[in-house]
Amino acid sequence: MATAFKTVEPLEYYRRFLKENCRPDGRELGEFRATTVNIGSITTADGSALVKLGNTTVICGVKAEVAAPAVDSANKGYIVPNVELPSLCSTRFRSGPPGEEAQAASQFIADVIENSQIIAKEDLCIANGKLAWVLYCDIICLDYDGNILDASVFALLAALKNVQLPSVTINEETGLSEVNLKQKNPLVIRKHPVATSFAIFDDTLLIVDPTAEEEDLATGTVTVVTDEEDRLCSVHKPGGSPLTGAKLQDCITRAITRHKEVKKLIDKVTKSIKPN
Amino acid sequence: MPLDHRRLQGPDESQPPALWAGEGSGPRDPCALRPLFARAGLLSQAEGSAYVELSGGTKVLCAAWGPREAAEPGGGTAGGGGGGGGGRLVCEFRRAPFSSRGARPRPGGAAEREAEREAAAALREALEPAVRLARYPRARLAVSALLLQDGGSALAAAVSAASLALADAGVEMYDLAVGCALCRDPGHPSGAWLLQPGEAEERRAAARLTLALLPALNQVSAVLGGGRGGDPESWGEALRLGLDGCHRLYPVLRQSLLRAVKRRDAAHTPPGS
Repeated sequence: MATAFKTVEPLEYYRRFLKENCRPDGRELGEFRATTVNIGSITTADGSALVKLGNTTVICGVKAEVAAPAVDSANKGYIVPNVELPSLCSTRFRSGPPGEEAQAASQFIADVIENSQIIAKEDLCIANGKLAWVLYCDIICLDYDGNILDASVFALLAALKNVQLPSVTINEETGLSEVNLKQKNPLVIRKHPVATSFAIFDDTLLIVDPTAEEEDLATGTVTVVTDEEDRLCSVHKPGGSPLTGAKLQDCITRAITRHKEVKKLIDKVTKSIKPN
Repeated sequence: MPLDHRRLQGPDESQPPALWAGEGSGPRDPCALRPLFARAGLLSQAEGSAYVELSGGTKVLCAAWGPREAAEPGGGTAGGGGGGGGGRLVCEFRRAPFSSRGARPRPGGAAEREAEREAAAALREALEPAVRLARYPRARLAVSALLLQDGGSALAAAVSAASLALADAGVEMYDLAVGCALCRDPGHPSGAWLLQPGEAEERRAAARLTLALLPALNQVSAVLGGGRGGDPESWGEALRLGLDGCHRLYPVLRQSLLRAVKRRDAAHTPPGS
C-alpha cells in the first residue's frame, strides 16, 4: 500500500513524513547519512580516496605529472579537477562525453579549489618558469544517490591529503630533471574545505544531505562550503526557490558544525594509514 | 585536434615523473592464480552490479540493467550488437583516468575512445554466448564496466564482473562467463605462459591471451589473443592452462553470487517473520 502511494504521489508521500520531522529512510531532517572514507586504495594513482554518503559513492584519484608552467604564471602549477558521472552510476546519465550536470560539478569543484586555496599553486612549482606539477584530480561517481557535491569535495580533499609526490630536482649542469621515486613528499594542504548540501522542500523546509529521490522532489538546493576557520569558501545555489537570509544563515551555521565532524573523520583516517 | 569544452583541460603536454626513473620487479610462480575477490549486488542505482578485484591491484566495477525496450530496434550503435530476433546486449568499458600506472590518458581523446570501444566489443563477444538473448526479443540489455585500477588481466576481470552483474540483475543466462588472462614471458622463448599476468608482466609480454569460459557447459565463449611467434602447441598449452584457471575461479564467483542473493533475501524479509 505504502509503495503504491509512494509511486503515485511521491511528493505527498514525502510531505507526510516531513510533517512528522522525519524522512522515509528514518533520518531526521538535519541528519546526515553514514559517512565513510577510505584512502589510498588505488595504487596506480598518486593519491586516492573513496567516499560513501549512505549509498552515494564517489572515488577520487589524483595523478601527478610535470609540465612547463603557463607563461603568465611562471611560478604556479596546475590543478585540473574533473567530475565524471558515468552511465554506470545511474540510469539518468548516458555514456559519452560529460553531460550538463558533470560539467557543472567540475566547474563547482574548480571554483572551490580556487576560492578555498586548498593548495597554493605556488607550492606545485618545481623550477620557476621551467617545471611544475600538474595534479589531475579525477572524481568519478560510482553510485548516484544524491548529494554528489558533498561527496566529491570530501573525496577530493581526502585524496589530496593522501598524495605523495616523488622528489624532482633539476640538475644544474645538464638542465635535465631527475626523479627520485623512493623519496616521497606529501602535499601541503593549506585549507580543508568541506561542502554541506541542503534541499529546499516546498520553498521553506530545509533538509540536509538529500538523496537522489529528495533532490528530484525538492524545489531547490543549496551547497555551502566552509573551511576550518569557519570562513565561507563558496555558496552555491543553482536557481530553484528563493531563500530568506535567516534560512541561509541557518545553513551556514549547520555547515560549520558539519565541517567539524568531517574534519575529525578525515584526521582519524589519515592518521590511521600513516606508516609510523 | 578540436578543443574539448566539456572537460577542464590542463596544460597541452605533461609527463609522468616515472618516465625518468628506473623500475624493477621480482620473479614469481608462473602457474599461480592471483587471489580473486568478488562481490555482487553492491550498487543501489543499478539493477545488478558486481565488483571484482584481483590481488595485485586490478579493480573492476560493473553495473547491469535488465531488459529495456530498444529505442531503435536493429540499429547498431557503438558497442551494441546481437541480432537474430533476440535482444541486444550493449556493453561499455570505461577506464578511469587514474587506472593505469603510466601517463594519464586524456579522457575523450581519440586513442582512449578507440581503446574503450575495442574493449567494449571484446566484452560483448565474451558475454553474448552466456546470455539467453532469444528470451528478450527487441529488448536492450546494458552492461557498463569501469576499470578503477589496472593491475593486469583487466579484461578478464571485467568479463567475470560483467557476467556476475548480469546474473545479479536477474537476466536469464546459460552460465556465468569466467575470464582468465595469460601472457608469454619474453624471457622464455620456448613458451612459458604466465597465468593472470600483472601489469608489468603484461607490458613486457611477447604474446597475450584472454579466455572466457562457461564452466558448467564447458564451452569457450571467447578467445582473444595475439602476439609474436610461438608454435601451435604452445598456444594449445596456453589454452589448456587458461581453461584450467577459469575452472578454478568459477566456485569463487558462484559463492559471491549466492552471498548476494542471501543478503538480498535477508533485507527483504522483515525481522521476526
